[in-house]
Amino acid sequence: MRTRGAQATIAVVCLVLGIMIAIQFKTTTTYNEQYPQERVEVLAEKLKSVTSERDAMAEEVLSLRSQLNNVRENNQATADLQDELQRNSLFAGLLPVKGAGVIITVNDIPRNMQNGDNPNSFIVHDQDLLFLVNELKASGAEAISINGERITAMSEIRCAGTMILVNTNRIAPPFVMKAVGNPDMLVSGMELQGGWLGTMRLLGYPIHVQKSSKIEMDAYNGKIKFTYVTPVEHTEKAER
Amino acid sequence: MWLVVLFSLLIGLIIGLKMPFLIPLLYAKYMSIAVLAALDSVFGGIRGYMEDGFDNIVFISGFIVNTLLAAGLAYLGDRLGVELYMAAVVVFGVRIFQNLGVIRRYLLKKY
Repeated sequence: MRTRGAQATIAVVCLVLGIMIAIQFKTTTTYNEQYPQERVEVLAEKLKSVTSERDAMAEEVLSLRSQLNNVRENNQATADLQDELQRNSLFAGLLPVKGAGVIITVNDIPRNMQNGDNPNSFIVHDQDLLFLVNELKASGAEAISINGERITAMSEIRCAGTMILVNTNRIAPPFVMKAVGNPDMLVSGMELQGGWLGTMRLLGYPIHVQKSSKIEMDAYNGKIKFTYVTPVEHTEKAER
Repeated sequence: MWLVVLFSLLIGLIIGLKMPFLIPLLYAKYMSIAVLAALDSVFGGIRGYMEDGFDNIVFISGFIVNTLLAAGLAYLGDRLGVELYMAAVVVFGVRIFQNLGVIRRYLLKKY
């Protein structure tokens, strides 16, 4: 059967095979060149520059804030105003604070992942932290921080990919939540039956609750910028 | 015979490299399985040719059907969440080596 026809067939098929191999080869090399190296490098470079930019801005915020402090201290004539300012700053989380309170440590469930396990059921989520912060507030906390990030009125607790962002800063487990307030009230408020802390403990998260007589907390150190909001002018003083 | 194979393969490679045409990344995997199946068919054909058992229809239909089926199975496997392309890789890989072994033995006997 070694005919001319057989040879012709083999030739045609080899031709097609050659085209397929060449296209596949070209595809593979092109994508390998395009994506993994180049893109990753560019993105890493970008991340680096943005991070350093952010650090520089944070420094600027600190220096500006110390300037502001100087101005406040020099002006003794407005003691009343300063009191008011301090109260508001405390409320806004702009002053470092200390006091009695409670320290709650929450961590991911330490377990070796089996094939088929859903990793989502082992990690602490942004919602968990959000619930816990909410319950701390409801239990009378006067100042709250998570891993050193002060929770302010405008603080977000949100997951971005595999991380959790608070005040646009990344935080990672273990999450140490500090709250200043009446320690007994805080603990009993958090340990209420059916509360989120109990639920998480039931799910297997390692949770540690500790009362403390002296907790220290940093101030919120992000930027404060209002673009859209302006206060309404009062003609009369609001009644209290 | 060998000249025919090498020559047409070379021409095919050149045509393929000149084509301004890329497989989308999503389908590159299926294409690679198809290439593997095609390679297997060609080696099988060469072996058949040397064993004097070559059949045009079997060869061409095997080439086309194997290629499409391999890619199709890999695609189906991805849809089903089963790594079926592994099966294709193993089967075709084993067969390519077997065919190569037979071809080598024939060549040794001949020369």
